[in-house]
Amino acid sequence: MGNLKIGIPQALLYYEYFPLWKNFLEGLGAEVIISGPTTKEILDLGVKSAISEICFPVKVFYGHVMSLKDRVDYLFIPRMVCVEKGVYFCPKFLGLPDMIKSSLSSLPPLIEPTIDIRKSATNFKNSFLAVGKLFTNNSKKIYQSFYEAQRNLKLYLKSKENELDQKIISQQYNNKFSQGDLEDFLNIALLGHSYLIYDYFINLNLISKLKKVKVNVLTAEMVKKRDIKRQLKKLYKPLFWTLSKKAVGSAFYFLEKKVDGIIHLTSFECGEDSLIGEIIHQESQKYPSVAYTEFVFDEHTGEIGIDTRTEAFLDMIVRRKRYESNYA
Amino acid sequence: MKVTMPNLGNLTSIAGKALLSNLGHEVILPPPNTKRTLDLGVRYAPEYCCLPLKIVLGNFIEALERGAETIIMVGGWGPCRFGYYAEIQRIILKSLGYKFEMISVEAPRGNLLQMLNYINRLRNKKSFPSFMGAFKLAWAKVVAIEELEKEALKARPRENIRRETSKILKKGLSLIDNTNSIEEIEKIKQKILSDYNRIIKANKNKDLIKIKLVGEFYVALEPFVNHHIEEKLGYLGVEVERGVSVVPWISSFLKFFRDNKLQDIIENAAEPYLPQSVGGEGQSTIGHIVLASEKGMDGAIQVIPFTCMPEIVAETISKKVSEDLDFPVLTLIYDEQTGEEGLVTRLDAFVDLLEMKKIKRHLVKI
Repeated sequence: MGNLKIGIPQALLYYEYFPLWKNFLEGLGAEVIISGPTTKEILDLGVKSAISEICFPVKVFYGHVMSLKDRVDYLFIPRMVCVEKGVYFCPKFLGLPDMIKSSLSSLPPLIEPTIDIRKSATNFKNSFLAVGKLFTNNSKKIYQSFYEAQRNLKLYLKSKENELDQKIISQQYNNKFSQGDLEDFLNIALLGHSYLIYDYFINLNLISKLKKVKVNVLTAEMVKKRDIKRQLKKLYKPLFWTLSKKAVGSAFYFLEKKVDGIIHLTSFECGEDSLIGEIIHQESQKYPSVAYTEFVFDEHTGEIGIDTRTEAFLDMIVRRKRYESNYA
Repeated sequence: MKVTMPNLGNLTSIAGKALLSNLGHEVILPPPNTKRTLDLGVRYAPEYCCLPLKIVLGNFIEALERGAETIIMVGGWGPCRFGYYAEIQRIILKSLGYKFEMISVEAPRGNLLQMLNYINRLRNKKSFPSFMGAFKLAWAKVVAIEELEKEALKARPRENIRRETSKILKKGLSLIDNTNSIEEIEKIKQKILSDYNRIIKANKNKDLIKIKLVGEFYVALEPFVNHHIEEKLGYLGVEVERGVSVVPWISSFLKFFRDNKLQDIIENAAEPYLPQSVGGEGQSTIGHIVLASEKGMDGAIQVIPFTCMPEIVAETISKKVSEDLDFPVLTLIYDEQTGEEGLVTRLDAFVDLLEMKKIKRHLVKI
């Protein structure tokens, strides 16, 4: 078998699972083509091909599929249903391959493993092994590349967690310095789905903009899993969405750690965020020293608007730190 | 306890009230949905929440203003947002300073004691048989209301005197509301059904447009929210068939007497397009559309609240279903901005199209 070209759209859950997907498929000898960062063209393609009522990130996903579909043999669009007992992904992820198939024509065949551990505990592994069967009959090879890929994913997540350790340590160290340079050490947590935070085109380069003005950017990936778990116990009713659990847990963690500010990135029509935004907002009221704001992104979001809001938000924090050292 | 619960068509105002008042609770129902309900909900709910959450929140505020102390709401465990509504509403109402208790009726997860506690409090020291009796009566009312409403959809487009059906239905509902025996309910039901039959017989051979009404549960069933779409279509001479109904919904919720067979048929019909349940009514919407087309109906209308997650998946897929089966589907998205006239125009146009399509089909046959 020659090298099959498999396309992975760089959108949505790509940002959560790419070390796993990419390494697994490459380990099987396939050539993985990633659609690359979002561009204006991709966004336009997506907005044109998706129905107008759907949430912004899915429109972006459509764009990535459109840009890939003519240069690959297969498209890899897993149906992520459930990776944790009793917790789901958003309904749009549950029906993602079906939506793509229904609204786009002349698609290459899809590889759409259903990952749903409610069916059996080993479903996560098994569905990947089933995908491997498409490429090779050598089950040893499939197993090897799956475990290799899984290790890669773990390493990636671990390295993200460690980033926070270093940052918080450096923060505590820095606090001993004089008040003069407070601006240098603002800790701002960026919360939201990873496909918003790491897609620099969608969020208009927010992270590098923040870094430029010497802000320590903290993200949900940096919070340890057990910390998230502990924080989620504060909820009266447990959440049932994987991604929201991470967002809420880390938001509570950052609130408790009293970072300087939290920016919640959300996208137009995001169903989960509409609820968890409210939860985080209400919880943030208990921590008056932590500033909280919410940025909503869609295909019309302008760079200047976000710049202005970011600036105002940071200014407000700095001013408060300088002049209101004893706020309640 | 001074109990309240959200408005849902005639369901809670009749059957829900019967259940709770027979258990000896004081029932304080929210006033019927009005513009004020909507405004209150829109003011305090998160912006991108769907319309049902907003209206129900408005219901609760209005009921709390009238002195309710305990709120009964249905919950769930996803993936549709509906499962978390009760909790969000509790958080919002608490932050507004209301004093109340929220009882969220849902499958217990890890907290069996709390669930038993809730049941015990709802039971209100009544013996088990009288508890079950109250349940049975309420259930009989639910079934009767549902059947009368569904049959009214057949009579309405055939009536000679405008609004006659609605009048009969209203009379029947108020009779059901005032009775407390299951036999009586059955009698009332038969009486009303025979009244309908009189209307239907008068215009039996009328060739009507048949439309399946599918979509999100609350929007499809709450006339205030969907701007009385069933009646509007009826007056346009359309026989509407409900794809969404309360009885299977509650039974699936209670797990026992669940109609697996019906659900399987719907899921199988949806299978080629959407093999995965996406929460809410997403998959059944697709299933119902396919089934309606197989049955030879003329079209389907999907009603959904803006930002509804499962129904948006269904909407995307319904475009393909509609194309493949040559079966017209109109998607109506409701939010707090939805205007009456816009809706009427779209319904008019859709029904016109269906009529033309029907005539064309007959011509080809000849």
